[in-house]
Amino acid sequence: MIRVLAIAALLLGAAPSAALANEGGGLISLDKSILIQAINFGLLLFILVKLLYKPLMTKMAERTEAIRSSLEEAKAARADAERERAEHATKLQASYAEAQAIRASALKEAAEEQRRLVEAARAEAARLVETARSELAQDVRRARQDLRQEVADLATTVAERLIRKSLRDEDHRRIVEDAIGRVDRVS
Amino acid sequence: MRAHEGTARRYAKALFELAHASGDAEAVGRELEQVAAVYAGDAGVHDVLTRPWIKPVDRRGVATAIAQKAGARKLVQDFLGLVAKRGRADHLPEIIAAYRLLVDAELGRARAQVRTAVAFTDAEKRQLATRLERVLGKRIIVEEQVDATLLGGFIAQVGSLILDGSLDGQLARMRQRLARG
Repeated sequence: MIRVLAIAALLLGAAPSAALANEGGGLISLDKSILIQAINFGLLLFILVKLLYKPLMTKMAERTEAIRSSLEEAKAARADAERERAEHATKLQASYAEAQAIRASALKEAAEEQRRLVEAARAEAARLVETARSELAQDVRRARQDLRQEVADLATTVAERLIRKSLRDEDHRRIVEDAIGRVDRVS
Repeated sequence: MRAHEGTARRYAKALFELAHASGDAEAVGRELEQVAAVYAGDAGVHDVLTRPWIKPVDRRGVATAIAQKAGARKLVQDFLGLVAKRGRADHLPEIIAAYRLLVDAELGRARAQVRTAVAFTDAEKRQLATRLERVLGKRIIVEEQVDATLLGGFIAQVGSLILDGSLDGQLARMRQRLARG
């Protein structure tokens, strides 16, 4: 930068000298004007440094600092984001594990409930079958008993009618005699 | 009826003790039965003896007079008068039955109440009495009652002993066997 300014000052200083040379001699005339030119150059350099170079440098430094600060902030933000991402990942992992545990527990409970329901249904079905079987057997027994009773009633009724119709006096006498003969068996 | 029997037994026992003391309990029983038959055969007499609004003294007078007219001894007259006075004339059948039991027990005999489909011949009665006497070890008096509802044979009851020699009983047992299978 300094080098650029020096070249600029040299060019600015050389311009009057060239004009002077055209008036009387060579490119550079070593007289009192050179001193003035030097002083001019020095003043110009001083002014340029004071008014341009230093504010420019300050601005540049500020800019550099701002960029560095921004970079650091960005770096910090990235680190924060990374940390948060890691935290989220950890939480997500934990949530996933918890969800898995809940799912496994729910599945286990559902399986247990299903097993219990199936067992209850089987027991109920067995009980119903047993009840139906028992009732059926009871109905069959009752029906058989009713049938036997009806057959017995019918048979004795028919027998009674036949006997009543066919009994004669000698039959009565014989029945009485037989019954008297059986009295001894009481003892 | 149970209350009647309890009361009747007490009256019968009292009469039996008095009759037994006089030594003619069986004759007293016969006279009692004869007079009771007169009471039962005359609805008017029965009404007078059993109506509670007729004075006890009048009931006793009627009962005693009828017993006297029937030729009953003084003991029977007094007993029937007492029964009528106390309003127990309707207990007489039970009193007679209880008295009969007491006399039978005293004489070592029992009565066989026999329900039969056809009337027994004398020989059958004797035969049944003999068999029962052999079984029970006491003299048996057969009291026969023809029951037309019986199919055939007879049913005899001596005290708590029941002998079923009827066709009805046989049919009933057959019915039970058939029903049992």
